[in-house]
Amino acid sequence: MLNIHPWRTVRFHSVWMGALVRRRTGRLTATAVGVALAVGLLACLGAFLSASKATMTQRAIDTVAVDWQVEAQAGTDASALASEIAATRRITASETVSFANTTGFESSKAGTTQTTGPGQVLGMTGTYRSTFPAQLRDLIGASDGVLLFQQTAANLAVQPGDTISIGRAGLASVTVTVDGIVDLPQADSLFQTVGAPVGAQAQAPPDNVAIVPSTLWHQLFDPLAATRPDLVHTQFHVRLDHHLPPDPAAAYNDITGRARNLEAHLAGRALVGDNLGATLAGARSDALYSQVLFLFLGVPGAVLAGLLTAAVAASGRDRRRREQALLRARGATTRQLVGLATTETALVAIIGSALGLALAALVGRAVFGTTRFGATTAATLIWSIAAVAAGVAIAVASVAVPARRDARELTVTDARRTLRRLGNPRWMRWGIDLALLLVAALVFWLTSRNGYQLVLAVEGVPSISVSYWAFAGPALLWIGAGLLSYRLTNLAVGRGRSLIARVIQPLSGGLSDTVAASLQRQRRLVARGAALVALTIGFAASTAIFNATYRQQAEVDAILSNGADVTFTTSPGTLVSPTSSQATAIAKTSGVHHVEPIQHRFAYVGADLQDLYGVNPSSILSAGRLQDGYFQGGSARQLIDKLAAQPDALLVSAETVHDFQLVPGDAITLRLQNGDTKQYIDVPFHYVGVAKEFPTAPHDSFLVANATYIAATTGSDAVGAFLVDTGGANISNISRTLRQQLGTTATVTDLDSSRQIIGSSLTAVDLDGLTRVELAFALALAAAATGLTLWLGFTERRRTFAIATALGANQRQLGAFVWAEATMTTGAGLFTGTVTAWALSNMLVTVLHGVFDPAPDSLAVPWNYLTTMLAVALIATATAALVAIRSSRTPHLELLRAL
Amino acid sequence: MTSDMVASGVVVRAVDVARTFGSGPSAVVAVHGVSGEVRLGDLIALSGPSGSGKTTLLHLLAGLDRPTAGMIEWPSIGGRERLRPGPIAIVFQAPSLLPPLDVIENVALPLLLQGIDRHTARAAADEALSRLDLASLSTKLPEELSGGQAQRVAVARVLAGRPQLILADEPTGQLDHASGGAVIDALIAAATDTGAALIVNTHDDTVAHRLDHHWSMTNGRLTTEVRASC
Repeated sequence: MLNIHPWRTVRFHSVWMGALVRRRTGRLTATAVGVALAVGLLACLGAFLSASKATMTQRAIDTVAVDWQVEAQAGTDASALASEIAATRRITASETVSFANTTGFESSKAGTTQTTGPGQVLGMTGTYRSTFPAQLRDLIGASDGVLLFQQTAANLAVQPGDTISIGRAGLASVTVTVDGIVDLPQADSLFQTVGAPVGAQAQAPPDNVAIVPSTLWHQLFDPLAATRPDLVHTQFHVRLDHHLPPDPAAAYNDITGRARNLEAHLAGRALVGDNLGATLAGARSDALYSQVLFLFLGVPGAVLAGLLTAAVAASGRDRRRREQALLRARGATTRQLVGLATTETALVAIIGSALGLALAALVGRAVFGTTRFGATTAATLIWSIAAVAAGVAIAVASVAVPARRDARELTVTDARRTLRRLGNPRWMRWGIDLALLLVAALVFWLTSRNGYQLVLAVEGVPSISVSYWAFAGPALLWIGAGLLSYRLTNLAVGRGRSLIARVIQPLSGGLSDTVAASLQRQRRLVARGAALVALTIGFAASTAIFNATYRQQAEVDAILSNGADVTFTTSPGTLVSPTSSQATAIAKTSGVHHVEPIQHRFAYVGADLQDLYGVNPSSILSAGRLQDGYFQGGSARQLIDKLAAQPDALLVSAETVHDFQLVPGDAITLRLQNGDTKQYIDVPFHYVGVAKEFPTAPHDSFLVANATYIAATTGSDAVGAFLVDTGGANISNISRTLRQQLGTTATVTDLDSSRQIIGSSLTAVDLDGLTRVELAFALALAAAATGLTLWLGFTERRRTFAIATALGANQRQLGAFVWAEATMTTGAGLFTGTVTAWALSNMLVTVLHGVFDPAPDSLAVPWNYLTTMLAVALIATATAALVAIRSSRTPHLELLRAL
Repeated sequence: MTSDMVASGVVVRAVDVARTFGSGPSAVVAVHGVSGEVRLGDLIALSGPSGSGKTTLLHLLAGLDRPTAGMIEWPSIGGRERLRPGPIAIVFQAPSLLPPLDVIENVALPLLLQGIDRHTARAAADEALSRLDLASLSTKLPEELSGGQAQRVAVARVLAGRPQLILADEPTGQLDHASGGAVIDALIAAATDTGAALIVNTHDDTVAHRLDHHWSMTNGRLTTEVRASC
């Protein structure tokens, strides 16, 4: 009887552990590696998630020109208010901006007079532009003095040096000389109605805007303020201290709290237009999306690593049972057996966690240049602790729980059995796999219906929510598909014995029936291995496809924003013909493959001024890289064909269709500016389809028509922009060359820059690092699911192979058993895994549609990665089989003696 | 090897055979200077204390291991590469049936490994099982058998292969007396039926006394070769 007194327990455990480390090195190492993979993956992804959120917050801050617009209420002492605001804690700068409504602008040139509708004149201090440099963008002329908004300049057909008159309600117009033309990149927020709810904001900023120095504004509009105070108002533009919490949601709460505090402090004398808060509100939903992405893409990886660990541990279960039986036969108590299992678990957890954290640090340094992935120390620490906790849980579930169960429930005789005639598992009898797939389909149907929102972040509402319910669809599909893979493999191997025998006949010759019988009896082992491979392939391939689709759409987004690899946008007021010397110069630039001219005009649809793009239907499809997702009611080709078939065809935005109750074929009369007279004239069109997106176009309302028809009806073929196709190569260099060649006569933008500056949308978050980390882990998991588990399974059956060799089996005959099992396991897993990946990818992209802007036409399949993964799986399988066969070349005599 | 040896039915002949494990001061000499011959039909009991080199000698005679000194030859069989499957069969002390194969598949396996067609192999396996009264177990899995049944099935596997030399390494070591007796009966029957030589490594004097010859190993040396008094 094993007589171990309590005081000897530690020594007993240490002796046992020492023996395990020396004699069961492979199994212990493989189990620890499984834990390490899970810990490493979680630590990497967690730290990356934290760093991503901080990046989103910073990007949100960077995209806002003015943090707050504090609007003084009527009758308030503006100068006192300015002092109070400037003295407010954590406000680092403030500038006074005066607004006046004008009845319109007018210009006279070459005997013609152009007038505009009502507009706004802003008075800005001399220091405003240095305090808020992103508010105005110089286009041509001076950067101070009287500045005209580019659309206004186009409407008035004026350039710097020309004079315009500004109408004042009830007062005489005043004349000023235009010094420069500017763009207002954030006109929406600049002209917001401060204090109005989201739905009550104006649909579009004014088209007619002039900016004048503060002193001039007072000269022009103080008289108006005296007579019509309702037509003028004052705002204080504020820049805040940007030391904010890294999480966008926390930063949002901080900023909005401070805004409400200021409003309370000012006691109704002013309202705060919280631009930074509004931007952070968007960023916090993006952050939630990234959190969801983490859940969708990261957690399954960790679960898989856990399953692999369990499979690795289970591969040594028979041996562990026999060891337990020996110990029990020599008097070990159940408590002592459980104690040994606990010590083994601790060893695996400690080694695995240490390896995992080291792996995460190495990956962080290799991919991100920092072991912390750019996250704060606290966030890194928290995620490391969480990852280690997950690692410990996996070790407990994989090692301690089964060992404890065996120690408590199995008899010595049971423990010595290695193969039993067992019925199907309960879940198979109950059809749990089919039920899971059914529920997955149901959840998918519910979560992919129109109007469903995965992330709900209502503007102005502090709380945001994620519908984690949507996570259930892909999760249940993944688990259900894994179990179904088990069921199908089990069924195929169990019922298809004669078929398998025929298939493996060339490999195993006269042994084919025996090999098939052997496989049939081990079908649970084969089915378990196949399910693990299917889960791994399903996870890795769907992750890769999702990531590739995500990158594809990010690229589409960048192309949509910039229009092409390089976009040459003509300056307002300049007339550039498609056959001009500039166009020729662009086309001749080295590296340029194709130049596509696009007209850009402003057209009135009723009273609504919209952007109109004139295109050449024969070339825009490829030159603009138009996607089906840009259009509604047909593919890109179908809609562009409609445009080509009818000269006066017009594509309009969905919003316009809704606002004007249009049906296809309806006649629409647009008012366009005549190229010669600069007067707006009526031009008839016919509505033929809906364009949701278009290169260089704004997201809300725009129109697309035939360039030749616009040129014929307006007498001008002036081009708004040239889309330059470089074949995706040397974009920055070609962009630089064009800038040097064409000087300041136009704006040259390129795709590389566009990728950097696409707002705060999630697609702008650089997921390359995450992708690389995750896909590398997925490859490791694929290798482990195939090669490692097979190898361990074969290792545990070394004695069987030794007996077969002693009976006279040669390498080829032994290989028949090994290859049949390896091929069946990996083959069935790859097949069901591929089907799972296809279904899962489609489901992921549909459920996470909110991540994509624009929505993808089709999945992007990363063939190189998938081929690599297939190669890794096959090589790992082949290696495991070859090692098993090679190591059985001569019988291990000590194994023949073993129990 | 001479034609006389073949003619006289020498199955295996050891000449001054030694087997040393390891090297240097830690080297262990398991078998030392063993010489002897085994002829077809010989029934030999190999006994000796634990660690005396009995199993190592059996492995050497089976061609599973190579001597570090001396020579072993199998005159009536031929070269080492022809020993298995077929001419030499082994029964191990520990369970040696392949877990995923049922009884009849286990018994037929050595024949299939020899390239004999499935139907013939199965028929031979059936016959061997019947001769040992094990036909009722043919569809059982090894884990469904008792220790004695499993060893008798292992003997049936030997019988089906009709070998020239049967080597049994403590085949009754894990069995009770009755089961052990049945296994020895089966082994002797198998050897007698096929005319094969039988060497049984055993600690059991009862078993040893049932065999014609008695070899004894002490400290790696085959110290005696006596005719059994049965």
